[in-house]
Amino acid sequence: MKNENNILKWLNNELSEDEVKDLKQSENIETLEKIAFYASQMQAPQRDAQQALDAFKDRKMSKKETKVIPLNFKTFMRVAAVLVVMLASSYFLFFNNTKSFETQIAETQNVILPDASEVILNAQSTLKYNKKTWKDERDLQLSGEAFFKVSKGQKFTVNTRVGTVQVLGTQFNVKERPNYFEVQCYEGLVAVTYNNKTLKLSKGKSFMVLDGTIQVVDDFNAENPSWLRAESSFEKIPLNQVISELERQYDLKIDFKAVDGSQLFTGTFTHTDKNIALQSITIPLKLSYKIEGRNVTLYNYGK
Amino acid sequence: MDIHNPKLCEENYFNKFYLEHVQHASNFAFYKCGDKDHALDLVQDAFSKIWENCSKIDFTKAKTYLFTTVNNLFLNNVKHHKVVLEYAKAAPYIDKTNESPEYLLEEEEFKKKLQNAISLLTDAQREVFLLNRIDGMKYREIAELLNVSQKAVEKRMSGALKILREHIENI
Repeated sequence: MKNENNILKWLNNELSEDEVKDLKQSENIETLEKIAFYASQMQAPQRDAQQALDAFKDRKMSKKETKVIPLNFKTFMRVAAVLVVMLASSYFLFFNNTKSFETQIAETQNVILPDASEVILNAQSTLKYNKKTWKDERDLQLSGEAFFKVSKGQKFTVNTRVGTVQVLGTQFNVKERPNYFEVQCYEGLVAVTYNNKTLKLSKGKSFMVLDGTIQVVDDFNAENPSWLRAESSFEKIPLNQVISELERQYDLKIDFKAVDGSQLFTGTFTHTDKNIALQSITIPLKLSYKIEGRNVTLYNYGK
Repeated sequence: MDIHNPKLCEENYFNKFYLEHVQHASNFAFYKCGDKDHALDLVQDAFSKIWENCSKIDFTKAKTYLFTTVNNLFLNNVKHHKVVLEYAKAAPYIDKTNESPEYLLEEEEFKKKLQNAISLLTDAQREVFLLNRIDGMKYREIAELLNVSQKAVEKRMSGALKILREHIENI
């Protein structure tokens, strides 16, 4: 192809008729002519443009109808709620170092603390301490009644809603009930803080607060609290407190509206038999009682 | 968004644009892949790309965009078929006056050879050759469409002619 440029021009319709004639004379382009001619008779598959457009519209419509899931605030909240629950529960699972013990009515529980101190929980009481900080400070939260045998070591603190008891190594009983706070020292020395005032108790001494007033209590000789022997002992205690204790040791509902709840009671009741226990309270006070299932009614004897 | 190009996003304009270019684009796609249905798929996909991006495309460049998109889509899923083009029905022979059976037979044979020879071209050559021959496009237009220089188009064209000629004259 000598006249490549001209041939290209010819196929691009850029040559005049004369120039085409010259080209044909200078070179045998018969084959090229045929190629060019027949090639232009070819055709690609013919499309019906309108039909194709309709098909396109259909496709576009079906394509546009992709399911749109809007970023729903509700869904977001749901996910957030699940996350919060998971985080919270994992927090409590992995980061909650508070160890807690709880007793129900008529139940006692022995708890050994990490420093080998022993705590005996009386009925319906709760004891809490922080596992993590226990090494640094022996700090407990108590609600209810418990007897402590503290092994020697750092300061040992029992916090109650009413007062705080601090010791070094000793045995003592703490009783914190509604309108009632009592600390009894069985061994060693106990420091009781009540209303920002600190009082030191030596062995055999008690500290008691009844309805907000500090009571003068006689010394005692017992080695340990009577409730450890399944008894409750009282020394000039108002009847309503005795009855509350009775309700904690037996699952009872005691109605004592008919009698004087403030009269003092000195004595002991057992935790093993509710009839004997009721009798040991009522007979010395000259009272009678009636049991109907869980309900007990006290009334004055002879009236 | 529509400020730049209110036209293409209007359904009427788009339809017009579609009807105007669908055959042409389909030819182009066919030169590339050689499969009738596949070619139409490519074209439809390209048109939906244009519709989706109608606000971003300059109306004057929409045609180039269309062909470029067809080309890209083709490259994305290269499924090669032998590209064999049919002749239009009732196409005349080069010498309209000569009706001798011998001549007609010769010409038919030539046409078959040409069909085969075209399928032997490289993709680039075939595309240029057919766009020029079938769609009657100038080299400059083809260059614009393929986004290459006119020189490159001419080179492909002469390469195509060389191969076709050799193939047809030798065999």
